[in-house]
This record gives sequence, C-alpha cells and structure tokens, in this order.
Amino acid sequence: MTLTTLPVETPPAARTRRARPLAGLSPSWLFAVPALLVYAAVVLYPSVVGVVYAFTDWSGVGEDMSFVGLSNFQAILGDEQVMGSLGNTLLLTMAILVVQNGVGLLLALGVHARLKSRALLRVVFFAPVVVSPVMVAFLWKYVYTPDSSTGLNGLLGLEVDWLGDPSVALWSIAGMVVWQYAGYSMVIFLAGLEGVPKELHEAAMIDGAGTLQRFRYVTWPLLAPALTINLMLSTIGGLKLFDQVFAATNGGPGYATETLSTVLYKQAFVFGKFGYSTAIALVLALFVAAVSLIQISYLRSREVAQ
Amino acid sequence: MTDLRHAKMSRAQFFRMMGGLAAAAAAAGCSTKPQTGATTGASGATALDLKFVGVADQKTPMDELVAAYRQARAGVTITTSYAPTDQVQTSLRTQLGAGNAPDLHVVYPGSGSAMSMTQIAGAGLLADLSAQAWTDSIPTGFKPAFQVDGKTLMYSAGSSVIGAIYNKKVFQEAGIDAPPTTWTEFLDVCEKLKKAGKVPIALGAQTPWVTQLITYALVPSTVYAKDPTFDDKQAAGQASFAQSGWRDAMEMYLELHKRGYFNDKPNGTTFEQQTSMVATGKAAMAIQVSAVLPSFRDAATSPDDLSMFPVPGADDAASVWIPAGVVVGLGANAKGRNAEEAKAFIDFLGRQENINRWAKAIAAIPLTQDASSAVDPAVESFLPFTKDRAVPFMDQRWPNAEVQPTHFAVVQDLLAGKSKIDEALKKMDEAYAK
Repeated sequence: MTLTTLPVETPPAARTRRARPLAGLSPSWLFAVPALLVYAAVVLYPSVVGVVYAFTDWSGVGEDMSFVGLSNFQAILGDEQVMGSLGNTLLLTMAILVVQNGVGLLLALGVHARLKSRALLRVVFFAPVVVSPVMVAFLWKYVYTPDSSTGLNGLLGLEVDWLGDPSVALWSIAGMVVWQYAGYSMVIFLAGLEGVPKELHEAAMIDGAGTLQRFRYVTWPLLAPALTINLMLSTIGGLKLFDQVFAATNGGPGYATETLSTVLYKQAFVFGKFGYSTAIALVLALFVAAVSLIQISYLRSREVAQ
Repeated sequence: MTDLRHAKMSRAQFFRMMGGLAAAAAAAGCSTKPQTGATTGASGATALDLKFVGVADQKTPMDELVAAYRQARAGVTITTSYAPTDQVQTSLRTQLGAGNAPDLHVVYPGSGSAMSMTQIAGAGLLADLSAQAWTDSIPTGFKPAFQVDGKTLMYSAGSSVIGAIYNKKVFQEAGIDAPPTTWTEFLDVCEKLKKAGKVPIALGAQTPWVTQLITYALVPSTVYAKDPTFDDKQAAGQASFAQSGWRDAMEMYLELHKRGYFNDKPNGTTFEQQTSMVATGKAAMAIQVSAVLPSFRDAATSPDDLSMFPVPGADDAASVWIPAGVVVGLGANAKGRNAEEAKAFIDFLGRQENINRWAKAIAAIPLTQDASSAVDPAVESFLPFTKDRAVPFMDQRWPNAEVQPTHFAVVQDLLAGKSKIDEALKKMDEAYAK
C-alpha cells in the first residue's frame, strides 16, 4: 500500500499575514466605523471637551474665563430654580413613564388582535412619533387653547387653562408627550407580543385559562424585555425633556414647567452663564446615566427571574 | 452568498477602505467649503457677500435698505436671515462663542439681555462705530443704550414707545370719545368697555415678553416721574424694586386683573391671540410696544381703526411719564474678516434718509430728524412726552440678563394668583444683585 500524501499548499508568509482577519471585527462592525468616527467627532469629543467649561465662569462669548473649581456644582445645590425644575422633571418623567407605557401597551394589545384595520391603525397610532416635537407642541398649543368654545375645552365642555394654570400646565405637557410617544411604546410592545409563542396560549386555553389569566401568566411575563426597553427609553426621554416644554410654555407660567433641560438652556443662552449651565448639564447627564443603569439592572434581573 | 456578518476582512482591506472614505470625505469637504470673503466676479469687479442675522422685527426695514445698498454699492451683497428672538439669541451666542459670527448681527440696546450691546461689547466682539458721522447726533438720553466708555458700538434707527394700541371703532361704540389722560379715567374707560361687552385689555401673557409691558408702561409714572435718578441709585445699591414705585405699578397691574379688565386666562393667551383680539374688535386695546403696530395692522380688516395712546400711570396728567426705548439695532462683528465693509453698511444706515426709512417701517420715532422725517400718526400723541417725560425701557439699564426673565416669571405667577407682590419684587431684587 502506498501511502500517498496530499501536497499541502503552503502560502507565502506575506500572504498569510495579509489575509489574516482583523481580530474580532466582522465587516458589519467595520461598516459602522465611519459613522462611529463621525459620532465621536461630533458628539463624544465636544462633550468631553465641554466638561472643562463646567469648572469655569465662561459667559459663552469672548475669551475671558477663569477656573472656579467646584463652585458651579456647589451653586447647583443652593439654586431654587434648579431644585424646582428637578422636582418638575421627576414628576413629568413619572407621569410619562406610567401613562405612555400603559397607553402603549393597551394600543399594542388592541392592534395585535385580529382586527381588519389593524395595519392602518398601527400607522395611525405611530404617526405622531415621526412629527417634530416642536411641531407637536405648536399644534397642541391650539388644542390647549383656553377658549371654552374650541380645542380640547370645546370638545370636553370644559373651561381649563391648560397651559396657563400653574397647577395644570405640567400635566398638560405630559399629555402632549404621551400623545406623541405612546405609538413608540406600542411598536416595542407589539414586537414583544409577536414573539409570544402561540403554543403557550393554546396550552393555557386547554388548561382553562381565560383572557385575563392568559395575559397575566403568559403574555405579561414574556413581555418583560419589551417593558425593560420601553421603561428605560421613556425614563431617559422624560429626564431630558426640552423641545415640547420650550415650545409650549418656555418653562412658564412662572416656573411651573421648568425642567432641568430648560433651566440649563436658559443659563447658557439667556443669562449668559455657560460655565454654570455646563455644570448643570454634566450633573443631568450623570443623573440620567445612574437612573438608567439602576433601572436596567433591576429590570434585567426581573427578566432572568422569569 | 457570503454572510456579511461572518465574513472577515483583512486589515489591509480595511485600511484601504477607510483611506478611500477619508479621501472621499476630504474631497466632499473641499467642494462644499463656503465661499466667504472677497472673490472676483465674472465682470472682474470685486464681489463681497456680507452675512446678517437678525430678529423677525428687523426684516421689513432691512429688506428695503439692503436692496438700496445694493444699488448704492455695486459688488457688495448682503445675505440676511431672520428668526424669533429666542432662536437668534441661541444661534448667535453659539456663533459668537465659536468665533464664526456673521459680519452683521442683531444687538439689543443697553445691558439687560444676553444679546445686549454691553454684554457683547464686554467680550470685545463689537466694532467701534464712533468715527461715523451719525453717531455725533445720538441724543444724550439715549447714549447709554448705544455706547460703552464713550464708544458707539451699535446702530439703531430710533425709539419706540410703550402704550395702549386701541381700536378706535370699539371705543366709539362704547361711547368713549377720547383716550384717557389719568389713571382714574383709564379705569373708567375700562369699566365702560366691559359694560359694553368688550374685553377692555387683551393680554397675551403666555408669550413671556408680553408680560412685562404693563409694568413698563406704568413704572415711568410711578417711579421715574418722582425720581428720575432711580436707575443710578439702584445701581449704587441705594434703591430697590421692593422699596419703590415698582410696588405701586404691580398693584395697579393686579387691580386691572382683579376688576376683570383682561381677557379670561391671560396666562394661556399668546401674543398672536392678543393681536387678533384687538385687530378684530373683540378686545378694545392691548398695552404694547409701538414696534408691533404693523403686526396689529396686518391682522386688522381696517388698519386705520388702530391707534395708540400713552397709558396714564398717575392721577395727575402732568405727572404721567412714558417709556420710550431705543429699538433693537445691529452691530458689526469686530473679529469678522469683513469688519470694514460691515461698518460701511452701518454708515449707510446712519444717513438721515435711511434712518427715516427704517423708522417708518416699524412705526418708530427717528433717532434724528429732518424736514423729511415722518412720525407714524398713531404715535404722535407720545411726542410731547419724549422731550422731558420719557425714560428708556427699564431693562436697558439693568446690570445682567437675569432680571428681565425673572420679571416675566413673577408676573405670570402674580396673574395666576400663585405669588404675592412682596415675593415677586424680592425675586427681582435678588436677580438684580446677581
């Protein structure tokens, strides 16, 4: 028996080196590199450089600036406007978080059912998401007109000063945000609902479970990942809320609808305190990051448990 | 078919691809580089494009005068853009901070806002216009609005007044023959209008800057008529909002509210709604700055029905003073590469005929006047006051940009019944001291 050895083709050393794949990076990653570079140049780099201003008294124009250490951060603690706006921001975030996701879930369950017009309804409910928040705010200024014969008042037969009454204005803004983004939550919940296996529902039905019980014991636990994403996105969106407030009330009446974002904007561009504004922005960014991390770690552990 | 997610790319392939992208980006960057500065046109003449960023109120006069400048100075074009005050403030301050501000831009007189002459001049960003002939004729009372340390740093075509824009037809229908000249008469007029089923005063307090106008209309009579040096004393720490006629003005403001002379829910009403109410005759008057008179006329079916009268802030007609402030102007970017050409345009604006044209377009009183100067008939009733019973708008002497927004906010709180006058004035004093 002749043992024949197949010739092994040994490529030249240089060729081997050139053909070696870039460790750990597949083309799908590499294609993202240009976008990441632009993101780094336009967002990351200015953000990191901007942090320096938080320790200065720069007015935003000119070259006069001196380092003031941590005094901007100390001033935040004693600033009534910042503290007041923090309260407003948290209230708004809570309201948006609960109502937007509640409405989004109901809409998702509705359009997930076998309705004839469900495709059209999905588009209708999602449509406000694609409109600019500023446009939505201007539109809702008309809806919220204090005139009792038109707008929401005319529709509901009320005489509420939706944006002019300090005790109502914050909730009016929450209302317009929910109207705009409930469709966004709906889409994420809908994706979650599509992933619930039919077999589980069938098994539960055979076991005699009713609609509510199937939702409670089958659908709801399996929606946990969608809920995690929705809660996190609405929390981040709520804490950063600016456009709608700025366009609808500019923080008023008085200071009733000031959020952290509108306060830091005013400090920079109205009061000419760019350094102080950057300090508030930095605190806000860290606060949002901390809340999001805590939230995601809790919700993820809940997903695992289920 | 290759699965792209799992296909591998060699390091050399990757770097070649990135090199290509970088080259393409560089080429695209070069091709879209904005053309600035002097260029040579097809005719061989030097072509120059100046950039101007202004507020919406400046559009009408600037469009007219930019067209005139094009005729007067061939080869120079001026590209203009306008936006509401908030947006302009944001974008311009960013550009000023980044060192790429336009050649010419809006500047607010005095010192009380983030885009005011004093605040921007403090950073050395406004070109000195003192050598221009028109600056010699700036009335003494207006100099603080134009100048810092004797240097003129902004241009403005004149002054506007704050008073009541009223619908003459509505007044006649309510049996009111002449505008009031004392505070008591003013209250009587409001009462008659209310009884005639009209809203006496339209107030669009949801638009922040509108909130300040009633106090501004009253304070000249309650503060400055009694003490013309109030601003100096306040700057020296010898006077305050809380311990002055500002308290009286706030009380008068709220008295109008308590008597039901404003439209329902003023905090939920915008400037546009206020304009429409007066223009359509639903409301009889609005306390406003004369610069917005053209907007009211545009909204009215018969613009001639609209006129203005000074708001009488005192019970003795001789003690009534009025607010007359320098209107929003423009300055030349001292750090811009076309600073000299930008200054030349301002010099052109400073010619008497151009001051007249600008003033006419916004119903202002021209900064300086000659035989051809015309004053809008609606503001003629203010002219007797302008010599010795007028004071600049209050914010033009405030030391920082925080007092004015604080004033807006406290007025909204007062109208909402959420605050007391003591608290409001205390907040304003605290903002003044910052």
